[in-house]
Amino acid sequence: MNFGFIREALPQVLAAVPVTLEMAVLATVAGWILGILIAVVRRNHIPVVSQICAVFVSFIRGVPMVILLYVSYYALPMMIYSATGIDTTSIPAIWYAIVALSLDQAAYSSEVFRAALDSVNRGQLEAAWSVGMTTWQAMCRIIFPQAMAVALPNLSGLFIGIIRGTALAYYVGVYEITATANLLATPGLNFIEAYVMTTLIYELISFICNRLFGSAENRLNRFRPKTAV
Amino acid sequence: MSTFRPIEILRAVPKILQAFPTTMLILLASLLFSLLIGGIFAMMSLSHKKVLNAIAKGYVSFMRGIPTLILIFLIYLGLPQLLKQFGIDMSGISLIAYIIACLSLSASANMSEMMRSAYLAVDKGQREAAWSVGMSPAVAFFRIILPQAVGVAIPALGNNIIMLFKETSLAFTIGVLDMLGKARAVSAANYGATKLETYIAAGLIFWALCFLMEKGTRLAEKAYTKGRKT
Repeated sequence: MNFGFIREALPQVLAAVPVTLEMAVLATVAGWILGILIAVVRRNHIPVVSQICAVFVSFIRGVPMVILLYVSYYALPMMIYSATGIDTTSIPAIWYAIVALSLDQAAYSSEVFRAALDSVNRGQLEAAWSVGMTTWQAMCRIIFPQAMAVALPNLSGLFIGIIRGTALAYYVGVYEITATANLLATPGLNFIEAYVMTTLIYELISFICNRLFGSAENRLNRFRPKTAV
Repeated sequence: MSTFRPIEILRAVPKILQAFPTTMLILLASLLFSLLIGGIFAMMSLSHKKVLNAIAKGYVSFMRGIPTLILIFLIYLGLPQLLKQFGIDMSGISLIAYIIACLSLSASANMSEMMRSAYLAVDKGQREAAWSVGMSPAVAFFRIILPQAVGVAIPALGNNIIMLFKETSLAFTIGVLDMLGKARAVSAANYGATKLETYIAAGLIFWALCFLMEKGTRLAEKAYTKGRKT
């Protein structure tokens, strides 16, 4: 073990943590919003759109993350260029990675949201209507809080999954934790030091995230659907 | 900027499929080992010893927190370096063995959780009933608990196999010519002109195989639970 290397490299690897978190958080926000939309569309059996969503979800769930990243990295510039004529060379690689990661989150979270919405008793919606709420009000105030309480444990798993997924952004040239560690380790062949350090950083991140989601679950628990007597 | 030619997708498919046996070898071997390792940790987490519970819990959360890519780098690049200091030479080990080891470890966490929850899903009364008719704990486990737990676990097992299958695509990161490795080689042979088409072809192959696995899981579940009360 070369502790001199660790002392020198640790600040630089830590400096890459925000890049990883930025990717994970942006992809999660975008992915979950899209996931809720897909879940609502599929639950309401909106013709055509619903089928497209089903194929989309099946595709994303069947394709490895690395391939999604590659396809988004090579296809998006081409699509943007042919659609608008804008030169895309100035767009940093991180945005292509965020697109790929959010599509992944959208597909997986849509299944979670669908199951969560199904778990809320249909009578709840009817009860909300009967007291004069509109469908939109009923969804926001009655259905979603309960569904979120059911969905949160699974969503926390998805978020940890996306933190792990960001490591693959290395292959489209994003300098996040993994790429930085690799870059620093290569000249002096300090691989064991670099990867033990990286492992600990990732473990710490997922530990903290688990804690945060755990306390969010506790707070949302009051919305948990109670079984009718 | 190169133009997109869909015909190249069709051309790439047979070339990528040449590496199908390699991918399957990795998948099956790591499936076997992950079930073995997962089984050991599932037993530990179900035992009544607090220390064993804690070890199993720690192992599962460690494996869930570490990106598979880092695990691969740690074992493929880091471990030989570490062992060299103790005079152990690892240079004779093949790349595929490394990838199988990494994927088995990473998948074993999910496998262990799957087995644990399947075991707990079987009604406790079943075991007591088996004991009451004079079965030994081992006989009760193999003839009463296990068959029911397998039925519960099949959907989760199918999901885990699909996830493992997708993770085999990481084999290219250390230079194994699996399907994605082959796709990269194909694209390099065309001087990168057909990158996008080749990766789309690889994606479609993975999608088709995952679709088949999903259907297979559903059939297996139906066939297994037929005539059984679960």
